[in-house]
Amino acid sequence: MSTKKKYSLFPGCLMPTEQYAYELSVREVLPLLDVELLDVDDFSCCGEPMKSVNQLLTIYLSARNLAIAEKHHHDLFVPCPMCHLALSETKRILDADQSMKERVNVMLSAEGLTYHGKINVVHTVDLLHDHIGLEAIKNKVKTPLSGLKIAAHYGCHLIRPSEIGRPDDSENPQKIEAILKAIGAEPVDYAQKLDCCGAPLLANLPESALTKTGQKLQAVQDQGIQGFVDVCPWCHKMFDSRQTKAGETVAAKLEVPVLYLTQLLGLALGVNSEKLGLDLNLSPVEKLVFKEGK
Amino acid sequence: MRRIGVFVCHCGINIAQTVDVEALTEYASHLDGVVVAKHYKYMCSDVGATLIKDAIKEFKLDAVVVASCSPRMHEHTFRRVVCDGGVNPYRLEIANIREQCSWAHTDKEKATEKAKALIRSSVGKAHLLEPLKTSTLKVTPEALVIGGGIAGIQTSLDLANDGFKVYLVEREPSIGGHMSQLDKTFPTLDCSSCILTPKMMEVANHQNIELLSYSEVVGVEGSIGNYTVKIKKKPRYVDIDKCTGCGDCATACRLKDRIVSEFNQGMGKRGAAYMPFPQAVPLKYTIDSSKCLFLTKGKCGDEPLCKKACAQGAINFDQKEEIVERKVGAIIVATGYDLMDPASLYEYGYSKSDDVITTLELERLISSSGPTKGEILRPSNQTKPKSVTFILCVGSRDETQCTWCCRIGCMTALKHAYLLREKLGEDVEINVCYNDIRSYGKGYEEFYRKVRGLHTNMFRGRPSEVRNMKDHLKIDIFDTTTNKLFEIKTELVVIVPAMVPRKDTIDFARMLRLTLSGDGFFLEAHPKLRPVDTFVNGIFIAGCCQGPKDIQDTVSQASGAASRAATILSKEEMEIDPLIAAVDEEICTGCGICVEVCPYEARTLNEKTRIAEVNEALCAGCGGCISACPSNASIHKNFTKKQLLNMVDDIM
Repeated sequence: MSTKKKYSLFPGCLMPTEQYAYELSVREVLPLLDVELLDVDDFSCCGEPMKSVNQLLTIYLSARNLAIAEKHHHDLFVPCPMCHLALSETKRILDADQSMKERVNVMLSAEGLTYHGKINVVHTVDLLHDHIGLEAIKNKVKTPLSGLKIAAHYGCHLIRPSEIGRPDDSENPQKIEAILKAIGAEPVDYAQKLDCCGAPLLANLPESALTKTGQKLQAVQDQGIQGFVDVCPWCHKMFDSRQTKAGETVAAKLEVPVLYLTQLLGLALGVNSEKLGLDLNLSPVEKLVFKEGK
Repeated sequence: MRRIGVFVCHCGINIAQTVDVEALTEYASHLDGVVVAKHYKYMCSDVGATLIKDAIKEFKLDAVVVASCSPRMHEHTFRRVVCDGGVNPYRLEIANIREQCSWAHTDKEKATEKAKALIRSSVGKAHLLEPLKTSTLKVTPEALVIGGGIAGIQTSLDLANDGFKVYLVEREPSIGGHMSQLDKTFPTLDCSSCILTPKMMEVANHQNIELLSYSEVVGVEGSIGNYTVKIKKKPRYVDIDKCTGCGDCATACRLKDRIVSEFNQGMGKRGAAYMPFPQAVPLKYTIDSSKCLFLTKGKCGDEPLCKKACAQGAINFDQKEEIVERKVGAIIVATGYDLMDPASLYEYGYSKSDDVITTLELERLISSSGPTKGEILRPSNQTKPKSVTFILCVGSRDETQCTWCCRIGCMTALKHAYLLREKLGEDVEINVCYNDIRSYGKGYEEFYRKVRGLHTNMFRGRPSEVRNMKDHLKIDIFDTTTNKLFEIKTELVVIVPAMVPRKDTIDFARMLRLTLSGDGFFLEAHPKLRPVDTFVNGIFIAGCCQGPKDIQDTVSQASGAASRAATILSKEEMEIDPLIAAVDEEICTGCGICVEVCPYEARTLNEKTRIAEVNEALCAGCGGCISACPSNASIHKNFTKKQLLNMVDDIM
């Protein structure tokens, strides 16, 4: 019997408020792969949304979350790539810049917190690919998704900027593909793989944002790819929830099943679709053709 | 008591604006033993030299201190001046008050105080300087040239025509280098082979040149004037005295057209018995020992077909690797460059599509002796492309890859744009994605203008991605002249990869004791004034091993290197700098540690007397043995412990 790996869970803001399916599937799938998630009280916003306005505030908020997580001694599992970026970037700044670390620690001392830099920040992709490992995943597969053609979407926050060290390569990421292969699916290399989901433009230029979403999904649909997986609640919001609207911008009827990677993984591990929150997906996930485990 | 003269240089305003030279001179004149102190605007000028020489006579000086720039700059100049004035040239001491004082500081008062301390310590050392004598050494009037590209060829021919024996070592089966792969050269569109082949033939037939092709330099010992070089001759398995270059072995080879041809940049095929290209020099066949069935598996049918086919009986599978030794007076390194592997930049699509090729691959496509006999065909489906796009600066001028400019990319792409317009006609779309067009050479700007006039679409910017759309390619580029995002649909993408140092440059540099610059190319002794010299006396560099350059610059530099080498080779004897190690025989215990540490093999232990000795011809004055000697018997002439401690005492 392998011992369980323990991680503290950083839920971020989107997952507990609207992208429930991601959280459901994460909580359902990871225990099957011998990972135990711990819920930690008192986390705040990761700070990323404030970065362009007040960088120090971002660093402070991230450092605060890291300091709280440090008290539990486990690495921090951050399923949202945007939170992951804020936390990793802050960790990198504080570990390299002693004076900034001291400055932030003075601010943290008001709550009796201290940042030491003792824990790592992991995302779903590197947790599955590097920490759990492809072999371990392969061993747990109950229903191999044989012949299912899937397009992987990484999203920009997960792989850029490469200088600060991201879970995968910025130009040629392959880890999701490797995971898909491990569960028997057939990842498809498509030219638009690195294209933006459109979410960053949504507030200011909603039309352009949806066009980006539409163009990418249209390319996927035109190439006969059966499904589309992502690992970011923001991207998922665009591709899944806004799929119909996005289709209007490119004058196409889009019918691409969009799933979280953890949802697809859950299906392969034999978890039933309700537990994975599949009924919360707005895209036509029922079109995914394969034998579902009971 | 010594009679010392101190001479302070203003170096225009380089020193004078940060150091109070008059106060300095006044201060120096009161130092112990100093009988005269003067200052002048340019001490290294003729007037300055006369000033020193006159002072030597007038004040009967027997040691001189010059406070000026770094000794690396003008020590040599002032040694000559002092010598002309009648003082032993090694009774000169330089106080570096420019690089180590005025250039490094801004506070005039403090800088002046520091300059005073520097002069004080130099005067302290001048009291103890010994007069030294230079000795002489016989020079071997022969040269080694490493690398048979255009740089090595030019250097070899120049030296051979000057009357010196030259050994030209080339690692490939043929000389010619990258230039032999090119079809035309910019900006005149001369046919590359037409101008290179005659030179290659001249090398082959020159009575003063011994060509060691398919050979590698594996060891270098000795120093300027007297190097001993070990050269490994790799077995060709073909007796080059018997081979007539008829090609029967290549036709017969079982692996004919089954091995990727390096010369054609992987676009054509060859056999295990092969000649890289038809104009190869020497015009001899080679059997590829890593591929040949007989050599790898020990069996090639009933008998090797090449052996059966060769009427001359030149095939000899018993050939062994051989090490030969040559003695030379100077070495010229002309080992050339590599192109960066563009697969590492995934976004440019080199590993995603066959229709993304490099300029050198396009060069082979254009060449009439290339894999397509000069037809421009898309590698994916062998059809003529309707649109071709060049991407410049792939990996070059990129802080994450190679920070430098490859200096040939812009002109290469423009040349290709011109040639493609000629070969493919008016209807083909030609796009060039550039950062800046650097057409700096003679006639280059005019050529650029000409290409722009040929309906070439110029986009200024770095493409973000080349997408493989199965039957065509798509490039996203933000054009910074119009501030617009363009999507280029194209059928053939030609990328211009960065020029990088040869893979094995570091090992090679270690063997020759050469220094590399930050970019990994060989470092020249001075970027402006000694561009072909290295820090190892008697070793010179030419061509792209020193840094990216075009053929014009390479040939000029190669001739320059030949001329610098000839300066050494033309002397029967040469002077050796006496600032080297010596042994205090009374203290030496004969432990032999100095023999072990010496990197130049200049130290030996006399078995009879049990005392260590110094070979003055080999000693480079590095000081390694001095710090290693446990009994302080190793000394460095004019850098003795006493002299240095005196300097320290005075500066404190």
